[in-house]
Amino acid sequence: MKLSAEARDVLESTMRMNKVSDAEREDIERVIESMPEDRVLLYKNVVSNPIGDLPRYDIHIRLQHMLTFVTFLTLAFTGLPIAFLDHFWATPLNDFVGGVDVSRIIHRTLASVMVFSMVYHIIYIFWLVLRDILNGRFILQRTLIPTFKDARDFKDDMLYHAGKRDQRPEMDKFMYKQKIHYFAAAFGNLVMVVSGSSFLFPEFWAAILPVGSASYFQEMMRLSHPHEALLALLVIAFWHWYNVHLAPGRFPMQWTFLTGKITREHQIEEHFLEYLRNLVEIPAEREYLLDMEDARELSSTDIDESVVIEKPE
Amino acid sequence: MSIRRICSYLNAIFILSICLTGTVTAFEDDDGCLLCHKYPKMGRITEDGARRSYYVIPHVFGSTVHRNVPCKDCHSYIKELPHREVDTGVTCDSECHSIKNPATGKNFSHKSIYDKYMGSAHGRDKKAEGHDQDKPYCVTCHTNPIYNPNEDTPPKQVTQRCVVCHEDEEFVTNWYKHTSRRIKEVKRSPKEVMELCSSCHGDKRLIERHMKDAEKDGRELGEKYPFAAESYQQSFHGKVVKYGFSKAASCLDCHADNDNYYMNVHDIRPSRDPLSSVHENNVLETCKRCHTRADENYAHLDPHPTPVSESENNDFRYYSNLIYGWIGDVVLVLLIGLALFETIGRRRDGVGWRLRKGSTWWRKSKRGRDRKE
Repeated sequence: MKLSAEARDVLESTMRMNKVSDAEREDIERVIESMPEDRVLLYKNVVSNPIGDLPRYDIHIRLQHMLTFVTFLTLAFTGLPIAFLDHFWATPLNDFVGGVDVSRIIHRTLASVMVFSMVYHIIYIFWLVLRDILNGRFILQRTLIPTFKDARDFKDDMLYHAGKRDQRPEMDKFMYKQKIHYFAAAFGNLVMVVSGSSFLFPEFWAAILPVGSASYFQEMMRLSHPHEALLALLVIAFWHWYNVHLAPGRFPMQWTFLTGKITREHQIEEHFLEYLRNLVEIPAEREYLLDMEDARELSSTDIDESVVIEKPE
Repeated sequence: MSIRRICSYLNAIFILSICLTGTVTAFEDDDGCLLCHKYPKMGRITEDGARRSYYVIPHVFGSTVHRNVPCKDCHSYIKELPHREVDTGVTCDSECHSIKNPATGKNFSHKSIYDKYMGSAHGRDKKAEGHDQDKPYCVTCHTNPIYNPNEDTPPKQVTQRCVVCHEDEEFVTNWYKHTSRRIKEVKRSPKEVMELCSSCHGDKRLIERHMKDAEKDGRELGEKYPFAAESYQQSFHGKVVKYGFSKAASCLDCHADNDNYYMNVHDIRPSRDPLSSVHENNVLETCKRCHTRADENYAHLDPHPTPVSESENNDFRYYSNLIYGWIGDVVLVLLIGLALFETIGRRRDGVGWRLRKGSTWWRKSKRGRDRKE
């Protein structure tokens, strides 16, 4: 495979960062060369362990996700029947979660767990960034920070799904959908925490805001809390669960949130640049890929030869 | 059995029942009012077509707080029997002549609380004209059931102790009933208060009528008058109260001075009245009853925000809600659209789009070697 300039950059910088020896560099180049030009062939032929082959999330991130989603769902179930009490499902659901006397305790307790999870996450990612910068291993493109490339990836991916493009774009560890989702969730979380705190500590917010805006703020927060909660719940139900459970190739679910690993197939399809880094960092992956290409006769060198033979005809 | 025979049996039962009811009255009927008023059919249809029942159920009246008050104390306008047509009827400010107030020695009367009520926004005469008719008179809120807790058999461990010195069992039982039902909390729960107030303040037609009247007379009505009940029910206080939570503020917790609850709930005044607990000079103190750390700014928070369905006098809330709704709809449509588009796009991957070929479903991720274009 002939790498694009972008992919080449990623490969070179990763090799530099990992200080690979010349012999290893040769090995890596050989693997890259053997890969078929059509990445679709590659990800369709690899054998994946359903619970994941390649590292993606460490235990802290998994724990933060777990804390956030368990609290989020329970908060939604205890909160929504209060916000939407004139709906037919509100009273039965409220009774089911124990009535207001109980659910308010659950709601506040879990809210503090969610705030803890948020703080834990913020401290943790700052620490990760700091560690990587100090070790000289920080790569902006490998983080969730949006770049111009994401806009291009989005366009290219849409073209692919519309049938106007041959391959999906070469995306990094976090693709455009994940970045949108992450920042939407982060923003939503912040809105929920601020608006929730304005219900729990209205005196505090009234005291620190100027008198002209205290009432507007409170009204805004009263609207924000249920609106944002409902939006978040619907986005989770219709989009996030689609992406990780129902999307073609992902059913019944991605196990990444439990195992922290991503399947090889998924990595090649949607995070090809990260897969290149995997090839540099995990020698066993190179070995596997070569074996697979041999077994399935996919090696690009073989194809090239056949093309050469066929061309004169 | 002939009809005549059945009739004579029924007659006998009827006469017997009259004799029996006479013997089981639980209160003194010295004036013989029950002679007529014990009959269930006792009543009439008024000129307006309303049915009025004048039936007094002896054992029910016999367990109300007024059971020891002779009829004539309140129905003082009755001078002869059978009596003439009643005009105003009983007003609650009349003075009892038979019952003395044991604390002051004066004749018992509800006058003090009645005067409080007359000075409040709700005050009206019993015979009221015009829009005053919509205001509640005493009996609108004071229905007997809340004063009649089921105390048929006072607890023995209490009465047996009393009877040791007071000797008379009946005296002890009556005294126990008299005091216990007053010591008991007979307040309506916040939810009941909300329902009671909403029965008028949530009545759209009544509100409209009053708004029109007020406009015609050039009277001032409160800014929140048109949606007092609705906005409360949509507020956090109202929502949790509706679910039966008893610690959140009900209407009376803010609109009545809490110095003496039983007295001051009769003295609800409009917020423009300086004596009102929600007047701008007093509202902070009122908030502080629960929100102890409230300050000047806090008093500006609106416990009755305009319902989101109306833009009237709260554009900020109306448009914020509208924009929020739009953002939600657009985001959902876009994301679901993206998911659908992606699903359709992936069909190109051949069989991979089918759920059963998901890489996490089978051990192998062979989504089909042949690529279909």
